[in-house]
Amino acid sequence: MGGAERNARKKRQAQTTGRSPAVAAARKSGPDRKKVVVGVVVVVVLAVAVVGGVLIYNNQKNATEGENINAGTTPSATAPDYPVERDGGIVVVGQSDAKVTLEVYEDFLCPACRQFEETYAGDIEKYVGDGTVRVRYHMLPMLNERSDPPGYSMDSANAGLCAADAGQFPAYHKSLFGDQPEEGSRGWDDQQLAKLGTDLGITDPNFTSCVTSGKYDGLVQKNFDEVKAAPYLQQEFPDGSKGFGTPTLAVDEKVVDTAKADWLDQLVRSAA
Amino acid sequence: MRALDLIGLLVRVGLAAVWLVSGAIKVSDLNQTYIAVQAYDLLPAGAVSVVAAGLPFLELVLGVLVLTGLGTRVVAIVSGIVLLAFIGGVAQSWARGLTIDCGCFGGGGQVTAGETRYPQEIARDIGFLLLAVWLTVRPRSKWSLDGWLTVREVETVDTQGRT
Repeated sequence: MGGAERNARKKRQAQTTGRSPAVAAARKSGPDRKKVVVGVVVVVVLAVAVVGGVLIYNNQKNATEGENINAGTTPSATAPDYPVERDGGIVVVGQSDAKVTLEVYEDFLCPACRQFEETYAGDIEKYVGDGTVRVRYHMLPMLNERSDPPGYSMDSANAGLCAADAGQFPAYHKSLFGDQPEEGSRGWDDQQLAKLGTDLGITDPNFTSCVTSGKYDGLVQKNFDEVKAAPYLQQEFPDGSKGFGTPTLAVDEKVVDTAKADWLDQLVRSAA
Repeated sequence: MRALDLIGLLVRVGLAAVWLVSGAIKVSDLNQTYIAVQAYDLLPAGAVSVVAAGLPFLELVLGVLVLTGLGTRVVAIVSGIVLLAFIGGVAQSWARGLTIDCGCFGGGGQVTAGETRYPQEIARDIGFLLLAVWLTVRPRSKWSLDGWLTVREVETVDTQGRT
């Protein structure tokens, strides 16, 4: 029989190579051992995935590391030609006898706030420039937990107040929204926030220490607590629930509906 | 048995689809994933980073492994543990009255009170968990790398037996 011959030959071969006992032992435990090997390989692959993920993630979320906040193409070393002053945790921009006083509630990390600024900052600037509108900027740590590490909302709000003290709030405010870090990412740290100020022409030596020490964190938080508790700032969301969100605009303790593009023109007209 | 193997294949494809889709969405927006994980309000900031970083890639690799059927039982067990953690995370958010989106397939983070969908999210995860349980109990299935490896093993054993 061919089969018998083949088996006999195999046996001889095994004997001559002298591997028979070892091979047989290995083969006997073969299925179990293979399972163990596969199991170990799978676990190692999963562990590598997690570690690789952490490396990729750190690389990605730290995109702002070692960069400068874009100060814009025309850094204005000159102070604006309208008053800018800090009132506690609020920055007031524009003439005190302006017809409309617009309260703006925003967070430097909030994407919707950036969109709002991109769309309407020009209009607001125009009316502030001609003295019809005065803006009270409430910079709030609404999304303070949403940077990694947490705290960018607070740090940037504090820096905004410091910039107001140093007389450069409008340009500073504009730059922070213009070069907004992504939610969930690293944000800008105090050094970078301070550097932006110097890039914008702030020479006041107190500015940097104001930013890095978090001088106005307490004022920011106090204002935020008041804003969150103000009944007239609570808005109804499409699903019927109520709450405070950014950006929110208010005039005379009434929330302004910005759904129509000419909301600001209408405000100015109705106040005239 | 062949019918069960076929079901096993379908279960594998189903679970693989879950992991590959959810993993790919999360990998494509890691910063959003951080927000989603952070919203559960369970972990310190450092741990949130690690979970937000590791989870998406873990999901992707689980998807590839279960699709190819390599180490099916181990992969199914790990899948089950991850899904149990998801269910636990969503359940605790519900119990504590948080208003978040689970971020299971992208998205995530705070939502308004009327937008939470905890029961649906948990039901869906339990459905996925059943797939993982099936493969843990019966990892054998059609067209798997495991099967391919085992078949070769059986042949070897047969030769041995006849020798």
